[in-house]
Amino acid sequence: MVFLFPMLIFLIILYGTLVWTIYVSFSDWKTITPNYQLVGFKWYQFIVAQPRFWVDVQNNLKWLILGVFPTVILAIFLAYLLELSPFPVVESYVRTLILYPVAMSFIVTGTIWSWMYEPNRGVFNTLLREIGINSQLRFTTDPQNATYWLILIFIWQYLGFAVIITQSSFRTSELQEMIEAATVDGAGKLRILFSIVIPNIRSGLMVLVSLLLISTLKVFDIVYIVTFGGPGIQTDVLALNMWITTFQQRLFSAGAGLGVIIFLMAFILIIPYTVYALRKWFE
Amino acid sequence: MKSKNRTVQLIVFLTLIILSLAYLLPIYVMVTTSLKTIEEINRGSYLSLSGNPQFSNYREVLYGSAQFRSHMLPRLINSCIISFSVTFLSALIGGLGGYYLSRTRTTFTRVLFVLVGIALYLPYQAVIIPLVIFMAKTKLALTYWGLIGAYLILNVPLASVLMGTFFLSIPRELEEAAEVDGASKIQTFFRVIMPISLPAYASVAIIVFTQVWNEFFLALSLSSPKTQTVQVVMAEAKGTTIVLYNLQMAAALIAVAIPLIFFLLLGRYFIRGILAGALKG
Repeated sequence: MVFLFPMLIFLIILYGTLVWTIYVSFSDWKTITPNYQLVGFKWYQFIVAQPRFWVDVQNNLKWLILGVFPTVILAIFLAYLLELSPFPVVESYVRTLILYPVAMSFIVTGTIWSWMYEPNRGVFNTLLREIGINSQLRFTTDPQNATYWLILIFIWQYLGFAVIITQSSFRTSELQEMIEAATVDGAGKLRILFSIVIPNIRSGLMVLVSLLLISTLKVFDIVYIVTFGGPGIQTDVLALNMWITTFQQRLFSAGAGLGVIIFLMAFILIIPYTVYALRKWFE
Repeated sequence: MKSKNRTVQLIVFLTLIILSLAYLLPIYVMVTTSLKTIEEINRGSYLSLSGNPQFSNYREVLYGSAQFRSHMLPRLINSCIISFSVTFLSALIGGLGGYYLSRTRTTFTRVLFVLVGIALYLPYQAVIIPLVIFMAKTKLALTYWGLIGAYLILNVPLASVLMGTFFLSIPRELEEAAEVDGASKIQTFFRVIMPISLPAYASVAIIVFTQVWNEFFLALSLSSPKTQTVQVVMAEAKGTTIVLYNLQMAAALIAVAIPLIFFLLLGRYFIRGILAGALKG
């Protein structure tokens, strides 16, 4: 059938490459020349024996938690505020203002923020000095906190995306009626937010959280361009480790193993979204 | 639920100021810096405008110079060729596939839908090694087809789901009427469904275009010198040109110009595309 066939070809290739990656991860391919001799979990053992892997896991967890939840909370707050705001101009202004970074690449955003973060002559510290604050912030060169400053760039870039999705969850007639009724009963704005709005946009929030979790799990570009995992390997993440292992150290089997690990994590994170989508699609 | 409450208005006002600062500062600094001389930047007053706008910075970035060796112009053309081809082909194939997914209700479709759903968010790290090996073996990596093919594999599922979400909202009566008139399924799709779905195609196109234009991981791993994209050359420039911030910002501006113009002109479609991805079509 004309409709099914072209899509099916691409799907088959895609899952074919996935299976191929899994196969490579169980073989003994450690130089530029392919070697498909199966050696079981050898390279997985190699991966988890490296301290770097555990730094990555910690950093990826930081990304998952701090990249997602502050973004969602801020998005709920902003979306609710836009609903309350009596001026329509405010809404269209804010939408464009916070959504434009969605059209930019992490590479460009990272280039701009690298300069803003630069500790000596960067934009932030220079501006702070101009208003009389002698800032000691080292931003992404501070080994302790570098990852947090990277996550801030992500939040900045994804906030508009999150607000748009949250706002559309507000716009159901049932929810609007409930809010009307509660307002007539004299409930306060905050009370309405916590006892009516948030419980009733659960499915929208679930989708948003899933999408953000996947994006933070896959994070590569920001880290590559701003710190390349440094200082040392303090900001390294699984995706960057995978790239370095594969294309710089040419340990293809270990790289494939890391790819499989990232895939499995993504697979677990995407289950709620897929189940929800399936139910919604075939209802 | 509009509010005339004073406190609410005050909070709205404060939020506006904070957001404006946070979101205008980066783009303001980028634009003004891209027009400055290196001496002006060294003076450190980043908020001031350039006294003598240096449009030659853009020429240096586009055509290359001693300070900026990676010419942007050929890479800009590469990015255009790759992104537009992938956008067109994924919209076409995704439209067909999405139509199939939205109009059949068999167990096979359900399985297919789950496979497409997972493919939508598949980390590129899980498929990159075979792609690189395959493209190198077939020498496709040296041509545009290497990257176009790789992006198609990853964007056709996305386009299918997005298009399908839109097709679900089209009433079946339209197709039934066409079929009564004796049109085949394919004729119905191209003559009835496609023309009324042009806004949906626009949404999908702008989402896929932005995604492909901005993609870095695949482009970095798969592009040869001849097919390098804007993102890869940006990353290279940041690594090699030390503190030439004016040229870096000019390059950044050139790299975002096309998707940003599309966003400003077609913002409505962009938002609809995002919402379709969040299953709110």
